[in-house]
Amino acid sequence: MKKIEIEAGSFRDPAGTIFYHKNKVYRVLNDEGKKRFEFLKKNELLKNLVSKKLVISSNQINPQILEFKEFFNKQILEHDKIDYISYPYEWSFQQLKDAAIHHLDLHLHLLNNNATLIDGSAFNIQFIGHKPIFIDILSIKEYEEGEYWKAHKQFCENFLNPLILKSKKNIDFNNWFRGNLEGITTKDLNSALSFTDKISYNIFVQVVLLNYLENKTIKDNKINISKVNKTKFPKKSYISILKNIKILITNLKVKKDKTIWSDYSKNNTYKIEEENNKKNIVEEFSKKFKFDTLADLGCNDGVYSQICLKNGCKHVVGFDYDLNAISNAFKSSKKNNLNFLPLYFDASNPSPNLGWLQSERKGFLQRAKFSGMLSLAFEHHLAIAKNIPLDQVIEFLTNIAPRGLIEFVPKDDYTIKKMLSLKGDIFKDYTEDNFKNILSRTSKIESEKMVSTSGRKIFEYSKIFSKKP
Amino acid sequence: MKKYILNTIIIFFFLNSNAYAYLDPGSGSLILQAILGFIAASLATISFYWSKLKTFFSKFLKKNKKSEKN
Repeated sequence: MKKIEIEAGSFRDPAGTIFYHKNKVYRVLNDEGKKRFEFLKKNELLKNLVSKKLVISSNQINPQILEFKEFFNKQILEHDKIDYISYPYEWSFQQLKDAAIHHLDLHLHLLNNNATLIDGSAFNIQFIGHKPIFIDILSIKEYEEGEYWKAHKQFCENFLNPLILKSKKNIDFNNWFRGNLEGITTKDLNSALSFTDKISYNIFVQVVLLNYLENKTIKDNKINISKVNKTKFPKKSYISILKNIKILITNLKVKKDKTIWSDYSKNNTYKIEEENNKKNIVEEFSKKFKFDTLADLGCNDGVYSQICLKNGCKHVVGFDYDLNAISNAFKSSKKNNLNFLPLYFDASNPSPNLGWLQSERKGFLQRAKFSGMLSLAFEHHLAIAKNIPLDQVIEFLTNIAPRGLIEFVPKDDYTIKKMLSLKGDIFKDYTEDNFKNILSRTSKIESEKMVSTSGRKIFEYSKIFSKKP
Repeated sequence: MKKYILNTIIIFFFLNSNAYAYLDPGSGSLILQAILGFIAASLATISFYWSKLKTFFSKFLKKNKKSEKN
């Protein structure tokens, strides 16, 4: 019998522990967790939140069905499984903004129902396609008259500050956030903002004043915080702070700047006929296998991901290192209501295992378990631009899914010629024959189709597990 | 001036000479909320009395107008 797998990231709130069993997600509750769950069941609050698609569907199950004796006397919940867990440092500005607004909407709804949230972590929001959803139902508790928004600081660091940083200074928050899982501190943001950035009531209050008070409370040991805590905080003020932050976030916009890849599908180097060739190959591949989960590496604005979804694939996760392309892809996922989640991703430096014991937030390789994979006009960015040996590139790609399409771009192609003109040709083994030889070591080449006059070819592979080295 | 008002609010509400309590990093956020709550409550009180004052004067003015007409 397969054992249970405990989610390493669920230790922060001891009220419950997440575990996985047979591809399903469960949560075992302790006494505090039971109390919070009883509260959620009261007045059908949970049912109401689930029907409004604010929180993930969660049902109490009979522990006997799990066949683990140690769970027989426990209270266990089953949650809907998220197809692909993503983290805030992998989201574009608009994704973090949508997640923040979702968090605030949920909080306002809870306060109207005599409940509140105990934390303000962006990691508690996940995406189902383009739609944000709150996954940690045990963060919901009964509202106590006069209580403060204890998670205000965490909300600012996780949501508000990264959004202000991008909007006001055009600095992407992703690598900064990945470096510090608590988010971006108010102190750092305050230093980055200029005087003119601070001439706004909400930014003055949420950044300048908050930073001043944080410094004051650290330096001044005469301030008695328990006295503050005993002063009742009116619910009206609680709600008005949340509403003001929502207005602030809603009005935050990104200055438009164009990058090479942001309009890639409009301005790429292919001829229309060649592009149609590629589209047909992707369409045929999707129709044939109708994958449950497909990874589109180098997805740009998601043209090929959309073809996959139209032709039978259920869920596509797109990966690209250009945040403007991710932004456009997310926009079209929302506009066309697709089950398509584009994420920021640098294949030569993908998200690593992070946090406590390096297992709180999982790296890309641990999460990347897809049934299908597209890697179109992608491998040369690793093999040529980043000098990664071809065999390692192929191993990396074929480990993502047992079936996929890989486009091989030969040295005669315009893009590679341009890349090599400055670098010089140091890639003697970068040939189509070598590519095929390496791919054949672990996979069967199902087909190879020419897609451009320069010799670009799309290879369909299926992995042969028995021959795995 | 701004700093002076802030310090006054903090000293007035939250200072306690015997306190050496450990301050968690969220203390600033709690004080911010207390200040915002205080300002909102003050504004609400001011607007309450302001509207009372307005209704009083409007009644007074109406009475005057009526008496002028009569």
